[in-house]
Parts: sequence; C-alpha cells; structure tokens
Amino acid sequence: MSEAGALRTFVVEALAGLGATISEGGSLVWVRAPDSVQRDLEVPANFALAFEPEQSGAFDAELVAPGSYFLERLVAVTTARGRWDASRFEPSEADWVSAVLSDSGFGSESGVRPRVLAIEDGILLLFGFRLTLISDEKRESFHLIAVSPVDGSAWAVLPDPEDSRLVPDAPIDFHPDLEAAYRLANEAVRDETRAEVDRFRSRSLGLLEEEVRRIFAYFDNTLAGIREADPEGSQDLLRAVMAERDRRLAEAVERFDPKATASLCSVRAVFAPTARVRLEFQGGAIADIHVDAWSRRIRGLVCEICHGTEGPWSFEAKSEPRCGRCAATREESAPPRGHPRSGTPRRGTKAGRSAVRSPRGSTARSRAASGGDRGP
Amino acid sequence: MKGSPLMSLPPREPPLSADASLSLRFDDADRNLLARAFRTPSDGPLAWRLNGEGHRISLVDGFDRLLAWPSLRGVARYEHQERTVFRILREMHGRGILADEVGLGKTIEAGLVLKEYAIRGLVRRALILTPAALTGQWREEMAEKFSLPFAVLHSVRDWDRRPLLIASMDTAKREPHRRAAQSRPWDLVIVDEAHRLKNRLSLNWQFVAGLSKKYMLLLTATPVQNDMDELFNLVSLLTPGQLHTYDRFLERYVASADRRVPTHVSELRGRLRDVMVRNRRGIAFTLPPRRVHSLAVRLSAAERHLYDDVTQFVRDAYWSSSGRLPWTARLTLTVLQREIGSSTFAVAETLRRLAQSPLFGPDDRDRLDGLRQDAVAIASNVKASRLRTFLESLNEKVLIFTQYRRTLEYLRGVLEADGHRVAAYHGGLSPVAKDEAVRTFQAGADVFLSTEAGGEGRNLQFARTVVNYDLPWNPLRIEQRIGRVHRLGQEREVHVVNVWAEDTVEAYLIELLDRKIHMFELVVGELDLILGNLEARRPFEDLMMDIWVLRQAEERRTALRRLGESLVRARGQYEQVKERNDAVLGDVSEAVPT
Repeated sequence: MSEAGALRTFVVEALAGLGATISEGGSLVWVRAPDSVQRDLEVPANFALAFEPEQSGAFDAELVAPGSYFLERLVAVTTARGRWDASRFEPSEADWVSAVLSDSGFGSESGVRPRVLAIEDGILLLFGFRLTLISDEKRESFHLIAVSPVDGSAWAVLPDPEDSRLVPDAPIDFHPDLEAAYRLANEAVRDETRAEVDRFRSRSLGLLEEEVRRIFAYFDNTLAGIREADPEGSQDLLRAVMAERDRRLAEAVERFDPKATASLCSVRAVFAPTARVRLEFQGGAIADIHVDAWSRRIRGLVCEICHGTEGPWSFEAKSEPRCGRCAATREESAPPRGHPRSGTPRRGTKAGRSAVRSPRGSTARSRAASGGDRGP
Repeated sequence: MKGSPLMSLPPREPPLSADASLSLRFDDADRNLLARAFRTPSDGPLAWRLNGEGHRISLVDGFDRLLAWPSLRGVARYEHQERTVFRILREMHGRGILADEVGLGKTIEAGLVLKEYAIRGLVRRALILTPAALTGQWREEMAEKFSLPFAVLHSVRDWDRRPLLIASMDTAKREPHRRAAQSRPWDLVIVDEAHRLKNRLSLNWQFVAGLSKKYMLLLTATPVQNDMDELFNLVSLLTPGQLHTYDRFLERYVASADRRVPTHVSELRGRLRDVMVRNRRGIAFTLPPRRVHSLAVRLSAAERHLYDDVTQFVRDAYWSSSGRLPWTARLTLTVLQREIGSSTFAVAETLRRLAQSPLFGPDDRDRLDGLRQDAVAIASNVKASRLRTFLESLNEKVLIFTQYRRTLEYLRGVLEADGHRVAAYHGGLSPVAKDEAVRTFQAGADVFLSTEAGGEGRNLQFARTVVNYDLPWNPLRIEQRIGRVHRLGQEREVHVVNVWAEDTVEAYLIELLDRKIHMFELVVGELDLILGNLEARRPFEDLMMDIWVLRQAEERRTALRRLGESLVRARGQYEQVKERNDAVLGDVSEAVPT
C-alpha cells in the first residue's frame, strides 16, 4: 500500500473507531462526527477530508498530510486511547506444539526428542515503546517488546503478529506485576536499539566536536590577535568576545548534544496456551523450555556461541544448540558482529536456570550457564 | 575544508554536557500508564491497534525525505528547491545562507526548511526578521502556503505570547524589543534581506549575533554588497571560523587594499560551500523573456474633465490652509487619486462616501458631491474601449488585473457583452469560489479578471499575457501581477500590456518604471532590490503622491526627473552588486543533483 493509502486507511479506521460515520466519495472522505469527535478534533458535525492539497479547496475539505493540524489532533486522540488491552489467542492447530518445535529446528530430523511436560494457560505482556533520538535531527522508531513473566525473558516482536486471531478477554481481578515486566522490557529495548543509539551518538558528538573546535579556534585566535595588537587594550572588548564565544558554544551544544528517550505507548496482555517441553539431545543433555502458541518462540535456550536466544535452532552431534545464524557462520571463536542479544535471560531469572544441562556437567556447563546460575 | 593549516585548532574537548556515553532514558510518565493499566476496562483491541498505528504513522526518520510537500498549498515542486532544502537539513545542519539569484524562491526554500523542522517537532519557536515592508507578505506566505500561523510583532508582549513571530529588523533591534528577543531561546531564526547584516558594528549584526538560536537561515541574493568584509561578517554570524579569523581572511582571500577584489577564489568558494547555497537562473532554470506593450489612450472630454477636477480637489485638500492634514485624510486623497486612474466607476462610490464624511468641511463635501454626479454620468471609459479592441486581436487566454472591484464589475459587463467567457477572481470570493474561478479559466474561459488578490500562489502559467488595466503605485504590486505567469514553469514568451491614459499619474509611472528602468523586463525579485537602493527611504507610492500634489507643472516635471535619475542610479548600483557577487561567488554552491 502506498504511503498516502496507508495514511487514508489509518484516518478512516481511526475516525470510525471514535464513532464517526464515514462515507468515501472519490478523492474525498466524508465524515459525520458525534459530539465527542467534534470536541476532541475541533471539527464541525459534517466535514470532508482531502489527502491531496489540490483537493482541499473543494467543499472546504480538511487537508490530511504529515504536519497538518487535523492529523496531529487525530494522532493525539488516537494515541491517548487504547493504551492497554487484554486478549486471548486460541490456536487453530490441534498439535501446535509439534508444529512450533518443527519450525524452530526441533523436527524429527534434528535428533532431539521433545517431551511435552504440561500445557497451561500462559500470559505474555506486550510493551509498545516509541524511541526518539534527537540532536540536530530527529530519528524515531517503534518497538514492541514481549515479556514472559513466567520465565523472565523479553524479546522484540513484529507489530501485532496474529492480531486478527486475538479475541478480547479481560479476566476479573487481573493485576499483573507490570513493574517487573516493564523493567525487563526496558532492557530488551536497550539491547534492541543499542547499535542504533551508539551510531547516533557517534555522529552527533563528532559534529559537536568539530563545531566546538572551530569555535575555540576562531575565538582564541581572535583574542590573541586583539591582545597582540594592543596589549594594554580594553578588557571590556576581551570580555565581550569571550561572552560571544560562550554563547556560540551553548548554541552548538543545544544543536548537537544527542538525547535518546523511550516512552511507553501501550501495554497488552495476551493469554495463550503455553507448553512446558523437555528437550532431550543425542548426547544426553536435556533442556526445559517454554513455548506459547501465539508468539511461537522457544524460550529457555541460549546459543552456546553468541548467547543469543533467537531461533531457529541447529545442532551438531553431541553439541549444544546454536542459533541459526551462528550455525550458518560456523565461527566458534567469537560472536558474530552485531548479533542481537535481545531476549537473553537476565541473571537470576528462571530462564537462566533452564538452559541446557548436561548429566556429566563439564562440557555443557559452559557459556550458557555463565550468564546466570550454574546448572545442577 | 576542515583542518586547513591556516588556522591552528587547539586540542579542545567538547563541553562536559555532551556526555561521552548516551544512555537511553525512559519517560517518567511511563509510571502513570503502569499504575493505570488494567485498573479500568480497556478501550478494546481495535483502539489498542490504532494506538500503535497512530504512533507508527507519526514517526520521523531523520531527513530521509521531505515530509512537508503534501501539506503545502499552491507551491509548485521544483528540484533545485528540494535539493537546497536537503543540503540545509543534512549537510549544513540547519545553518546556512540561501543566496539564490532573485526569482528562484528563497522564501519557499526557507519555508520548507521551517516546515520540515516543525513537522519533526524540532522547531517550536521561530523568528523571521524582515524589512518592515515585507512583514505582511511573509505572514501571508507562511499562512497560505505552509499553514504556519505567524504573527507580526505589535507589542513587546508578543515576544512571550507568540512562538511564531515575524518582526521588522528595525523594530526588533531597538529597546525594549531587543532585550525581550535576546532573552528567549529560538529554535530557528530566519533573516530576510540578510545583506543588511554586512557590518558587524551595526545594530543589525549585533542584534542577530546576540539572539540565542539553534538553527539560522540568512536569505540574500547579494551577500557581497560592497567589499569582502561583508561576506566575512555574514558567514561569521552563522559559523564563526568558517572563513578563519578576520586577519587571516584578509590575508588569504582579499587581494589588496581594495577590499572589493577577492583572491584564491576557488579555495574561498570551497569554504563557502559548507555554509551557502546559491542557485542561479542559467543553471537551475531559464525564464523566457518578457515583451512590454503600451496601450496609451486619450481620455474623453468628460473623463478628462472629471480627472482634472478630482486632481484639483486632491491638491487643494492636500495643501489645505487649515494646516497639515491628518494621516487618514491624506490616505483618503491618495485612494481617490488612484481610483480615478482606474475608472470612473471605481471613484464614484468613494466620492459618494467622502461627500458625507466629517473629514471634510461643507464646501468640500459639496464639491465632492458634484464630482460624484459627474462620475456617475459617464457611462463608458475610453480605456475599456481600447482593451476591447486589443482583445479582438488576441487569440489566447489573458489575465486582466485591476485594483478595484467596481472596475472589475464594469469590465466584466463589457467583456461578457462582447462574448468573452470571463472568470472573475477577487478578495470577496470564498476559497471554494476562488478555486472554481481558476478552474473555469483553465478549462474554458478566455479572460481571468482579477483584483490584487489575483491568484497569489496559484498556478496560472498556462496563460502568458498579463494586462494591467490600471497601474498600482507600488511597483512591487505590478511585479506580483506579472509574476503570476512569469515564473518557474513558464515556457513561452510573456507579454505585459499596460493600459494607461495620457497626463495622469499612471503616465508618470510608465515614464519612471518602463522608460527609465525597464521594470517590465526585469526578473521577479530584482525590482525589490533596486527600490531598496533608492536614496529616499519612503514607500514608492508616497514618493509618487509627493510629486503629483505639487501645484506647478514645472515643479512636478523637475521632481519626476529627479526621481527618475535616482531610479537609474539604483538600478546601476544593483547591476554592479550583481556582477560583484557573480565574480566572488560564481557557482559557489549550486544545489546540483548528486
């Protein structure tokens, strides 16, 4: 869909969601707005919307475009609503566990024997964050982080996977520990955006340094010139030049000093069947993992090379699991550059404890356990 | 050009406020959401999804593309302007000199930069500094084309109340405004006619230097007015050190004691490239020539009689024995004189109102009423007959401008009676009706009949003939009319047709503007710079009125000759400055395709 098309779709859906009656006629969209919409968007009861400036004159249509007042109001109203939600996911496949395991590299050809220990009603918390980087320019991105309160893992998900198959479900007295999950989500956002934030910081500070050096060079040399020309000269002049220098420095900092902020936009609880599965590897090692029907993510495995938690997984005989990327590179000496660490279990969480355990203890105790508690 | 050995760079570090590590800070307001979530029923899954959509659709990602275009009204999209804006945003980081030659749209470029910043939330407080005469024009352009509600400075309280402010430089630089302006931080400062910042000892320069600003745009077609010092002062205001220290600059880039002559020009242009964009017509685009046609008429006896009587009344009232006239009365007399230059229909209504006005005594009111009766007795105007003859010989669309609505209505009747399809456009129309008038003209009408509001910012380049049925005394107004068709996108030769009557103020205007400085052949924007060089620092229409009200014909002729000489000098000065800028700047920094 084109950008203009996406904008139009959003506007129409948002207005309908607010209770307005919409009719689309050619290039214009006609809106009949209830009182609340009239008040919130500062619009009359009936009005037209145009998505091209040339059409906005017709019927006094309100222009909708980036930066237009109407769109800003609509976005403000829309983002002030829908800030939390609870929904349930019911898988359509009967044997969804096998399907997920197979997709994740644990099919029959892998040599890994999975044993479902239990299937329970699980919960995931989704946190939507808006990341904003500002210096002389502004860069923004949106990050949706899933947190499993059960095993303490957190990872980035694409916006609304399987959203259409979620049905509203708001259990009575549902009061999750949002604070702890939020902290995990924070860490996941930091991991997810670290490279981007570092690049932004380097660029901005590079520009700032260049500017500051030029300002100092100019004013220091100017001051030296003044002193040389008239050693007994007016101190007022020197002070004025120094004040000017300080003002320019302040302006440079104001322009290039980088800032990075993330703000929480929304929270969603997703209830979904969650399986506890024991994986038995050829060498005798075992790992207990969690997998849910909605995100279809294997939780509880850590790549022996990069410590990443992103599947699909791969195995060599008697070795511990490797994430797909490390298996592809076959580089065991160092983690691949820029490999995502999002979702790595935190020290002291259940996930750390559920990494692969070896009955013999030596080989498999390894790096997987070094990030958290040691195995048994 | 960084790291040149010409200027030693001391090993300074960035200020401590720029922390070496940038940590991601989470919004304190997140706690409010955490505390409220799931305590009350949600707005539903659709609202949750739209929340995310709303955020995603409003994200901005650096300056990867220009977001403002879809929201602009009446702004044609030109590549050189887009490239210029990208250079200012990406390479100059919001601080640059827009030094395009006149007519290439510096105002549009500045407005685009501002709008891009505003959309991204990087500019919330912006100040535009202009010559006093241009404050209204800037306000209109920002409102109509960019939907940016700027206010023009009226009182010192506006510095606090108005985040988007336009101020005349002359007002802003003086107390109490100066202190108020300098004590507040500005995200963006735009200085129009920035060559007025040429002297670093001037109040202008020091005022702008003392403003606290993040981004700054300096607009001038002629950064170098007299000597190279001016260029140094302008660049230092923006980026001190870009051209070294002053002594180094002179040593390196000024050839001799004659500070007008540059040296190491190529290297100088290289340094300027970091802070200046200068698009030139020959490279960015070319405009077709203008041809000027004069339709001079001799007024009918009745019209002549009325014109002379109105003029006599104006002169008598102007030199009234009761002393200096109040400002409103002087203005009224000017309007009267301008209207009679347009048509008898335009002046009749004003005569009626003035005949009842307390501004004038009983004798004057009787005189005015007599003039009104003479005006309404005239059924047709010779100028209109001449226009009809001209239109018979023309087989293409034409724009006809008049200053007055009553003249417009009269002409509409006359032309429609002749079988012309007329699209009328004036300030009394609603925006929808205005759009309809433009569409009608484009689709089938052969005449676009318009008052001063005529299609400002609208795309009318499909026509190429402009008729000035009357002549505004402000030459910039005439230029705006011509600019409706003689602009970027026009591919055919443009014809400017002036209809005027002998022995009138309009004849004076033709003498000065056409015969003396060939104004009708200038490029849009040049006239402004020429008038800026006039010794007399007064509006042109006031200068015209001063001459016209002189009682003796000989006095009038002498004053007209002096003003003509002054205009010729002003044009010569402009040509010299233009040549000097070409010599120094040349192709310093075209926003060429990359």
